[in-house]
Amino acid sequence: MADETRKKEILDKLRNGVIQYDEDACREGAQEAVAEGLDANEAIFDGLVSGMEEVGRLFEAQEYFVPEILMCADALYAGLEILKPHCRQMDLGVKGSVVIGTVEGDVHDIGKNLVKMMFDVAGFTVYDLGRDVPLDKFVEEQLKTDSELVCLSAMMTTSMVGMPKVIEKIKEKNPNCMIMIGGAPTSKELADKWGADGYAEDASNALKEAIKMVAFLKKLRDEKAQKK
Amino acid sequence: MDAKQLKQFLQAEGATLVGVGDVTKALPKEIVHLNRGIAIALNRSLTKEAVDKLVRLQTLTEGWLKANGHRSLSIPPDSDRRKDKLITKLYRLFCHKTAATCSGLGWIGKNGLIINEQYGSKLTWATVLTDAPLGADRPCVSSRCGDCDLCVRHCPSGAVQGHLWSLRNPLREIVAYDKCRSLKSGRTALKGKPNCGFCVTVCPYSRNGAKK
Ligand code: B12
Ligand code: SF4
Ligand code: SF4
Repeated sequence: MADETRKKEILDKLRNGVIQYDEDACREGAQEAVAEGLDANEAIFDGLVSGMEEVGRLFEAQEYFVPEILMCADALYAGLEILKPHCRQMDLGVKGSVVIGTVEGDVHDIGKNLVKMMFDVAGFTVYDLGRDVPLDKFVEEQLKTDSELVCLSAMMTTSMVGMPKVIEKIKEKNPNCMIMIGGAPTSKELADKWGADGYAEDASNALKEAIKMVAFLKKLRDEKAQKK
Repeated sequence: MDAKQLKQFLQAEGATLVGVGDVTKALPKEIVHLNRGIAIALNRSLTKEAVDKLVRLQTLTEGWLKANGHRSLSIPPDSDRRKDKLITKLYRLFCHKTAATCSGLGWIGKNGLIINEQYGSKLTWATVLTDAPLGADRPCVSSRCGDCDLCVRHCPSGAVQGHLWSLRNPLREIVAYDKCRSLKSGRTALKGKPNCGFCVTVCPYSRNGAKK
């Protein structure tokens, strides 16, 4: 990617495509990004996602209503579909397996899907439970897959209250499993209060956190094995 | 804002019928602000060409509304078949029949379908919901089937029971759809086609429409 102005042009096209719920513009912008060698992660987060942030603002200002938001999300996904296969495969030295989902009562899955995508790109094995996931399902799936990590997403103050219940149950059954939470209403403070092992404010940090946690777990295991 | 202008525009673009209804009472909370339903009909059956043409008319309507500073939501003619996107989840919250009756373009016949005076049920419908304060047409409040019971007598599955529709009880089940469905799926299994629709062909209103 040579030209900074051209890069900005493409990012703006992606961003505005989401804001104006124009799927074609998002597809076009995504194709241009791919063709001209713009970094796919950058196109997603500084283009599409930054558009969705503005949409959130417009929703709060009551300029947008539910139909507009759904169409904006469709536009975001239209661009994402093209960009996703071009995300850099990262080799970060650590790989793990993770159960992820949006908690019961909450259908917001855009953010969760972005976090999931980062895990995919980093070569993690991801068990995606989707959205509006019954709390016990997280516990079951963790036991079934023996994943090192469980990621809980919530976008509403009303649904995030389910998180401490899941955390408690998982820790009871499997104290070694690490749990990370995220989504707009959550915070580092809440994560600490509820006994979660990690929190991240966006998808890239979620991956960084996850890698730290998985590396920590693996170290613990190795030490245990050595002692035996 | 001038509803007449919009109607003329869409008819010039090939719409068979256009009406504007006040659909306030039929709206779920997600879309309460979109209280005008623009019903657009084409005198064709639900083929790919008809769908494409209606979708084009909807896009034109949206453009016209947007240029006048208003929001809109298009419910496509084949709304029940679309599932691939998030916005499609809103489609089942609103039914084309509501826009048609609210804009006075027809009533719900004993056969459960929209009956227009001129075309009967030989029409394919699409709806555009909007918050534009368009003048609304007078709604159809009750059935005009009267004593006719042709569709009741000819329905091979006994699905059409002869209930008269009224806007006072718009959600009453007029046709036993499970009976109709099981007859049609039986025939599809046998002959590869559902092969029914007597309730349309026997209707005098639909026959008149076909002659034109
Ligand atoms: C899009 C959207 C919707 C869409 C969702 C589409 C979808 N498939 O996701 C639809 C229209 C369906 C919707 C519905 C509703 N919504 Co809404 N919606 C939004 C909106 C505008 C944007 C959310 C979004 O996608 N952001 C973009 C993504 C990229 O960001 P993100 O989700 O925060 O994710 C990032 C981080 O949080 C983090 N992250 C996310 N998950 C995780 C998980 C882990 C483990 C980690 C580490 C990190 C992490 O990484 C992500 C990427 O960087 C917000 C407003 C806002 N400003 O956030 C309201 C908002 C979330 N919605 C809200 C409400 C109230 C609703 C409805 C009740 C509205 C209604 N009246 O119908 C319903 C609820 C339905 C339900 N039961 O869930 C409120 C919540 C209020 C509250 N505090 O409880 C908000 C905040 C709007 C508001 N200001 O009132 N909504
Ligand atoms: S399609 Fe046939 S079975 Fe179904 S309601 Fe009409 S006449 Fe009856
Ligand atoms: S056939 Fe008669 S009763 Fe049946 S819908 Fe037509 S007019 Fe109504």
